[in-house]
Amino acid sequence: MSKGRAKENRPGLLRASLNPWLVRVEDHPERLAFVLHRVTGVIIIAYLLLHIIVTNTPARAGWEAWDQLMEQFGTNIVNQVGEFIVAGSVLFHGMNGIRLLLAEFFGVCIGRPEKPKPPYIPPTYRACQRQLLYLIFAVWPILWVFAGLLIFGVF
Amino acid sequence: MGASRIQMWQYITAILLIVFLGGHLVERLPWLVGAESYHDTLRSSFVSKQYGSWWSIGLLILAYTALFHGLNGVRGILHEWKPRLGTLWDAIIWAVFIVFALIATYTVAALW
Amino acid sequence: MVGIDPKAATRTPPKTVVFRVKRYNPKSGREWWQEYKVETHRGMTVLDALLKIKEEKDHTVVMRYSCRMGVCGSCGMVINGVPRLACQTQIAEVADEGNPVVTVEPLYNFPVVRDLLTDFTDFFEKHRSVKPYLLRKDREEQEEPRGQYLVSPEEHALMYEFTLCISCGLCYAACPVAAIDPDYLGPQALGYLFRYVIDPRDEEWQMRLMIADSEHGCHKCHYAATCSMVCPKVVDPAQAIQRLRSLLFKYKLGLWRKKKTAPLSEKPKDWKPRKPLPPEAQLVSPDVDLERLESEPVTVEVDGKRVELRYTIYD
Ligand code: HEM
Ligand code: SF4
Ligand code: SF4
Ligand code: FES
Repeated sequence: MSKGRAKENRPGLLRASLNPWLVRVEDHPERLAFVLHRVTGVIIIAYLLLHIIVTNTPARAGWEAWDQLMEQFGTNIVNQVGEFIVAGSVLFHGMNGIRLLLAEFFGVCIGRPEKPKPPYIPPTYRACQRQLLYLIFAVWPILWVFAGLLIFGVF
Repeated sequence: MGASRIQMWQYITAILLIVFLGGHLVERLPWLVGAESYHDTLRSSFVSKQYGSWWSIGLLILAYTALFHGLNGVRGILHEWKPRLGTLWDAIIWAVFIVFALIATYTVAALW
Repeated sequence: MVGIDPKAATRTPPKTVVFRVKRYNPKSGREWWQEYKVETHRGMTVLDALLKIKEEKDHTVVMRYSCRMGVCGSCGMVINGVPRLACQTQIAEVADEGNPVVTVEPLYNFPVVRDLLTDFTDFFEKHRSVKPYLLRKDREEQEEPRGQYLVSPEEHALMYEFTLCISCGLCYAACPVAAIDPDYLGPQALGYLFRYVIDPRDEEWQMRLMIADSEHGCHKCHYAATCSMVCPKVVDPAQAIQRLRSLLFKYKLGLWRKKKTAPLSEKPKDWKPRKPLPPEAQLVSPDVDLERLESEPVTVEVDGKRVELRYTIYD
């Protein structure tokens, strides 16, 4: 036996939560969805905490103060970009959340047990969660652009 | 018993959020509420109508469920990050939950 | 899905391939990349190449392997960024003329003992904690079998896939949650746990569900599904864990119980009591106490308290 110490080899919270290509397999949108779901979830909860404080304004300081604040926010580009990011986050998180609900809570759309046979693609990647995920990646940009048009005041 | 007692609520709140967060976002569509633009829907003339109606209960449920769901999600991440500090994470998360739930309750009650 | 390309062995890899091997010396704590040029031939696997390096160029490179045919599960390593069995990975799959370089690292999420050799102690502890063997209420009968447990082909088909696991740890190395949380049971142990929950012969499903139902059990899985991507036996642990978790929720909501377990067949006519094992089949090491291993309770956290789950207390 060699002396000395074994070295820990876990990538850790940030690399595992932020890098969808930590393990470089191909054709694997589920991992990307995991990273996006986690990142968007954290963005939304950060927003929600601020949101609860900001929406307390009319209760604390009256409706005039609220209108003034909204006027400021509505014309501030930094704010609009922030809102745009939160909108995109909610859209992805919500849609992917439905997929995760089906898979994790209801246990559906995850494939059925079967005897492995060529070409050896595990059932979970041929299940309808995959189609749902493709659908989400297709619909998400459209809804996000639409939300952007609203937020930046195009219509 | 076990972790599923809390984790089950992560999914139940997710189902509630689809309904209530969905409704909350639809309110921001100007054509549906008769406003001129998205920013118009945020003016007091529109927003104040939402409080004082049955929907303020909806808003309160939305605040509680979203807070629970989001904070419990963060709690899970913190547990993964430093499992040894589990009790500390739980204490911090539920303290934040109570404080922000109280702020939200105050908002809705004051504007009723 | 990764590494199961039956045609790969028929292709010819680049004539010479550069192997970039991640080295680690536990004495000095030094880590470095070392390159070796290897002359290849058709059908050569990454393990073949590493052994060739060991024989001809540098005998200090350390790795683990045994069967060389994808059965024992010892030779897991990260090849070109993907956890794979070295013996089941054709060089032709991972290198081509355009980029005749193969990087080899030790498995992620496992402590590195030296070079490519990783420590599986914790992994096997987790495996053991899910009690990966049949448990019957009638323990005496189980020790002194009087017949067979009858399983229909339909029942068998539902669990067969999940029984194929060779405990190679590739799924554990690929999982983003295991990459963060050292306490996460991981896809291998949870997949195994599920396989016994649905095994018609097993009667301790309630205890098994309780083991899964911990802060670092099945709820830590976020269905990133990379485990199933890299599994060399197509076990599909990602599916198993989602089935396990939804079953657990249904059980908690009073919507699911294991309805029937496999009945005992009639006592065979030529039945004889079990013979004790011959001395050469007994465990020689006095350190291993089989009795203790089997009877040791699993502790789980229930309502903030540590509770010991003992055999057949949940009737
Ligand atoms: C349409 C509404 C939503 C749905 C359907 C939904 C669904 C889900 C589901 C199913 C999970 C569990 C994922 C897993 O553990 O694998 C989850 C996690 C999470 N959600 Fe939501 N969610 C919604 C809205 C929100 C909101 C409004 C917030 C923030 C306030 C939020 C923050 C989070 C966070 C932080 C996580 C943890 C992420 C992780 O551990 O990777 N979600 N969501
Ligand atoms: S589930 Fe697959 S990848 Fe994981 S240990 Fe078993 S055989 Fe290996
Ligand atoms: S499905 Fe679950 S166990 Fe498998 S890699 Fe993803 S998080 Fe890990
Ligand atoms: S050496 Fe046995 S699986 Fe590779």
